[in-house]
Amino acid sequence: MRNKAESREKNMKVRLITIGIAAIAIFVIALFIGPKTINPFNISEIDREILLSIRLPRVIVSVLMGMALGASGAVLQGMLRNPLADPYILGISSGAALSAAIGIITGLTFWGMFTIPLLAFVGALITGVFVGIMGWKRGGFLPERLLLAGVGMGFLASALLMLIMSISTDEELRRATLWLFGDLSLSDWSIIPYGFIFITTGVVISLSRARALNTLILGDELSHSLGFSPRRERFILFISIGLMTAASVSLGGIIGFVGLLIPHIGRFIFGSDSKILIPVSALGGGILLCIADLIGKSLLSPMELPAGIITAILGAPYFLYLLRRKDVLSI
Amino acid sequence: MRRFFLKRSTFVFLFFLFTVHCSLLTASYAVEPPQRIVSLAPSMTEILFALGLEHNIVGVTNFCDYPEEAKKKPKIGGMSNPSLEAVVSLKPDIVLMTTDGNPKEFEERFHSLKIKTYVFKERRLLDLPHGIRNIGLALGVKEKAESAAKEIEEAVSKYKKYKGQGKKVLFIIWPEPLIAAGPNTLIDDAINLLGAINIAQGATASYPKYSIEDIFRQSPDVIIIGKGHEDMRKLSSRLLKRLSSVPAVRDNEVFYASDNLYRLGPRVIEGIKELAGYLNEKQSRE
Repeated sequence: MRNKAESREKNMKVRLITIGIAAIAIFVIALFIGPKTINPFNISEIDREILLSIRLPRVIVSVLMGMALGASGAVLQGMLRNPLADPYILGISSGAALSAAIGIITGLTFWGMFTIPLLAFVGALITGVFVGIMGWKRGGFLPERLLLAGVGMGFLASALLMLIMSISTDEELRRATLWLFGDLSLSDWSIIPYGFIFITTGVVISLSRARALNTLILGDELSHSLGFSPRRERFILFISIGLMTAASVSLGGIIGFVGLLIPHIGRFIFGSDSKILIPVSALGGGILLCIADLIGKSLLSPMELPAGIITAILGAPYFLYLLRRKDVLSI
Repeated sequence: MRRFFLKRSTFVFLFFLFTVHCSLLTASYAVEPPQRIVSLAPSMTEILFALGLEHNIVGVTNFCDYPEEAKKKPKIGGMSNPSLEAVVSLKPDIVLMTTDGNPKEFEERFHSLKIKTYVFKERRLLDLPHGIRNIGLALGVKEKAESAAKEIEEAVSKYKKYKGQGKKVLFIIWPEPLIAAGPNTLIDDAINLLGAINIAQGATASYPKYSIEDIFRQSPDVIIIGKGHEDMRKLSSRLLKRLSSVPAVRDNEVFYASDNLYRLGPRVIEGIKELAGYLNEKQSRE
């Protein structure tokens, strides 16, 4: 019996080490291959410029965004006990898109390059708070309430967004459309520190509440009897998700699939213990988005395909394959 | 007081440094016109060719298809999503952008990559000569730009006298969904210049999705269908069938235009001439 547990633990360790090594390898590969391969042993002046000012920030942004989406998806599915939940279902992305589009159309530039990301961030936070207020009843978040409030807000925000886009005269809207599919082409060093702070804070908070999240999955009563306050825990987790999603949307727009399906893939391979699932989902999201962006910019180079499209094309078949192989599903 | 003075002197010093820096920049600029140019818009590419700078163009967008030689230039991606890597690896001295199609963020991004940009802000027919003169100054081809600008000005003043007889015109960009050329567009400018009326000029957007009901109400005398990547005759046949009682369709005043008026560049002269021909078609037929 003990032997079995030990070997299982060992097995888990091997898997974790494998995914860690895979992640590092992919980040390095993404730096050197692309539309044009850079030979790491013979770097010209132009190559260095491309490497340091374009590719490195872009890889970092894709990894940060993927991490935020993967981790917040894992947290959200657990805390709402709903396998269909993803960070965007709370309407946060639509709110961000709406406020960014307003900024793009009215030509606001009060803070230079930061204006649009900042507007997206503020829009995401406002929507998040609003959804939180709507989902709050009897001193806490109720999962179904939160979900429905998010869906409702999401519809409202995207309807307003479509309204603005259809009456707008500005060609900058082409940019807004691109942004709605997720676009990393403008990734720049200047915004990375902010994204890094918010996203790591979110990951650390949710990791520190991983045990509570495990009990929340079992149900509020059980969670309570195991010594956690479900309402408090849900509130803390909601804040961490809000931070991560808002930061990720402002870094590069809306990227589908990662937040919804990466946690499920993580569960298929690593089980549903949140202590492992959260970091694994974060890492998996980072890897997937990094690969997707690499393919998106290289495939039809110099035409750039939005990373959001590639993530789904790559990830969905793999997800379906795993789904077919599993007997029992769990959150 | 002393502290205040210190602070002020630092400020003055910084200001001095700033101005010196600026004047150095402009000085170095005036001496050497840019040799390697990347164009981020088809209209910019056409202007560059017209200014005789075709050998200095090192990169163009995937949409730069005029003149024919432009297609052979290295590509840097689309207008709204050019590949930064592709642009940087071409080592441009200057990147030409427009406010009409290139996102503003790219200007800032190029700035942070220390690549010089020239942003073409003109978007209307009457501003084009001014825009061409400015480009000429920035790229060191003042005389060529002057003559190109003059040519456009002369064409404009020649066609100003043209009598479009207040004909009502609808310029269709795409038949299904129906997209028309609305206000604040080059096409609208050309229609107005020729003394005709663009029935879509009251729309809220530059390229509005237009209502068929409104076409019946306004009953245009002439319908012009722009050039697309597909066969516009085939694409528009269903729409024209529905519009068969509208004067333009009934009297056979439907024309298929070239893309001369789609880009704010030297080809506008051809475009205006072409448009004038369509407005005058009936008279010449009779």
